[in-house]
Amino acid sequence: MIERLETLVLSLADDELIIGHRHAEWIGLGPILEEDIAFASIAQDETGHAQAYYQILTDLGLRTPDEYAFQRKASEFRCAHLVELPNFDYDYALALMRHYLYDAAEQIKLQALREGSYDPLAGLADRLLREEKYHWLHATTWIKRLAYSTEEAYLRLKSAIDQLWPYAWMLFEPLPEEAEIVEAGWIPPSSVLRERWLELIQPTLISANLFPPPPASETLLPLQGARKGLRSPYFDELLQEMTEVSSSEPGAEW
Amino acid sequence: MYGNLVIRPEDIENWGKKVHEEDPEKLAEFEARIERGEKIEPQDWMPFEYRRQLIRLIEQHAHSEIIGALPEGTWITRAPTFRRKLALMAKVQDEVGHAQLLYSAAETLGKPREAMINDLLSGKSKYSNVFNYPAKTWADTAIIAWLVDAGAIINQTTNSKGSYGPYVRALERICWEESFHLKYGYDSVVYLATGTPKQRALLQDALNRWWRPIMHFFGPPDNLSVHTEKLVKWKVKLATNDEMRQQFLDMYVPKIWELGLTIPDPNLRKNPETGRWEYSDPNWDEFWQVINGNGPCNKERIAVRRFAEEKGRWVRRALLESQARYVTPLA
Amino acid sequence: MSSLDPRIRRAEPELWTLSTPPLDSLEHWPTYEVFVQRMRGGHAQHVGSLHAPNPEMALVLAKEQYARRSQCVALWVVPTEAILWTSPADEDLFQPAVDKSYREPQGYLNTRERLEKYRDRLQATSHD
Repeated sequence: MIERLETLVLSLADDELIIGHRHAEWIGLGPILEEDIAFASIAQDETGHAQAYYQILTDLGLRTPDEYAFQRKASEFRCAHLVELPNFDYDYALALMRHYLYDAAEQIKLQALREGSYDPLAGLADRLLREEKYHWLHATTWIKRLAYSTEEAYLRLKSAIDQLWPYAWMLFEPLPEEAEIVEAGWIPPSSVLRERWLELIQPTLISANLFPPPPASETLLPLQGARKGLRSPYFDELLQEMTEVSSSEPGAEW
Repeated sequence: MYGNLVIRPEDIENWGKKVHEEDPEKLAEFEARIERGEKIEPQDWMPFEYRRQLIRLIEQHAHSEIIGALPEGTWITRAPTFRRKLALMAKVQDEVGHAQLLYSAAETLGKPREAMINDLLSGKSKYSNVFNYPAKTWADTAIIAWLVDAGAIINQTTNSKGSYGPYVRALERICWEESFHLKYGYDSVVYLATGTPKQRALLQDALNRWWRPIMHFFGPPDNLSVHTEKLVKWKVKLATNDEMRQQFLDMYVPKIWELGLTIPDPNLRKNPETGRWEYSDPNWDEFWQVINGNGPCNKERIAVRRFAEEKGRWVRRALLESQARYVTPLA
Repeated sequence: MSSLDPRIRRAEPELWTLSTPPLDSLEHWPTYEVFVQRMRGGHAQHVGSLHAPNPEMALVLAKEQYARRSQCVALWVVPTEAILWTSPADEDLFQPAVDKSYREPQGYLNTRERLEKYRDRLQATSHD
């Protein structure tokens, strides 16, 4: 049972850790000071969520949050490839669109976990939803405003969602042993969550003419296996960077 | 009986070139108000020179915060634990927040934010030299967060007793947030100082490299500084560079020694007779070199700010509404 | 020249080649004044200003710049241009020219004294 719980919790925690890491790359580089500050808070929140998820496993006698984040091999991570993607050429449309798609998914997952049968997870989800409310307000306000502003903004958002769409779709790749996880009542099946996610984002994206069709299966094929430990080509560099200091002196406290 | 101060950037340009004849009656009233310890607010009459000097001071302070986000930002993606990573994000976020507050305070004097940023990017307007040095290792972030922020607190606490209301209000909040930076920095330093030999060596190395920029932090010695009598009278400048440097040494040298670290200046000592710290000449030529753009990181710092402004441009333009009108903010 | 910051290294070489004309006026948006209500029952207090493209975004952005640490139950934003204020030259508007103690509680400090005098007088007559 504990292995399955770890599978579920790591899929949630690793997503949060890595998206927080990518969002944090914008601190000091945002499009305007006020937004720099807001996005830095979101990066902190997501990183804090990761820590809280890992702690659930720590409480079961597994590894500590720092060990999970800073002392695992790449193949031990269970995050979706969406969060691993670099900020490429620092196009804020890509950052905002990823934030929008991701936080929609996070919200759906948290609402489901809150109703789930594993109390520590349900209790945590209830608390995290508080911060999620702001993330969603921030994301939807930005996307709605930008989508109806200039042609350039629309085209950037369009290109961002086209690029991110298959990756976002795979946020809901079934977990290993998902049937048993669902059976335990911890969380509904990924396919159900994906439907809820689509319902949440569809109205806004359709009316802004930014809603792509479901990705073709051949697009999704190379993105499979993230929840089993297959990493994207971008992950090794990220992990090396993230653990550069912590691995420079094993056993040291910082 | 109500109004809105609108000053165009070109007006400010011209102030520097003109000699202003101030109305002696208004000037006396203004100075008496400051003498009584009252604050000056944006809508008050003020001498041109007061406005010009305050814009210069607050604007440079704001630039220092936004540029200051960069050396430490270098280590955000590499922070070694959850606690350090979160704290570093929060700290660098605070620096950006301080820039926001300070630009707003400067704006109340009539110079729009865009004009200030343009002056930063063109090199016309300066920022604190200390941020033109590289943060080479994780230990550098600890030294910066502890000692550079300690210097900043001394400077800002001094300035917070100044006469201009919006600046004083911004500084009160800034000092409060900086006290978290100082605690975080000291905690990080103590972990390194009490850690493995390699960690201690990293820390000592960072201190060696940062000591000189920190000695430069409060500016050139008083005997080399320009005449500031009027600024003292107007409570724009509240302590001399040497006074602040002495205060810093008094407060932090014992703490550095307590950690068993060596300060890279064999002549540093407190003279028991004068009660003042004596130290080797920290190479003021280097200070002027760096101010004039020849420090190790000047070019990168400005390039990064230009990059961030340029990358954000389409975002800002997309949401700017056609009927928008600039009005000088109130605080 | 390569940056020590991996985030910045990823921006190279564009970092050095990007054309960066000066900012236009208003490019950082107009300003809003921000008010924070720290607790229910308290007044909303002015805490500063920020740049935003519209009132809705002003609220979203104000939340993190003005309420990320301190206690807050509600935020207000007002376009700076909507605010009118009295001129400092009119400070004398607020200073009364004649005694207005009749409308202050401190204007009624001698009431008790009068009552006590009356009692003393009564006592004096009853002893007679």
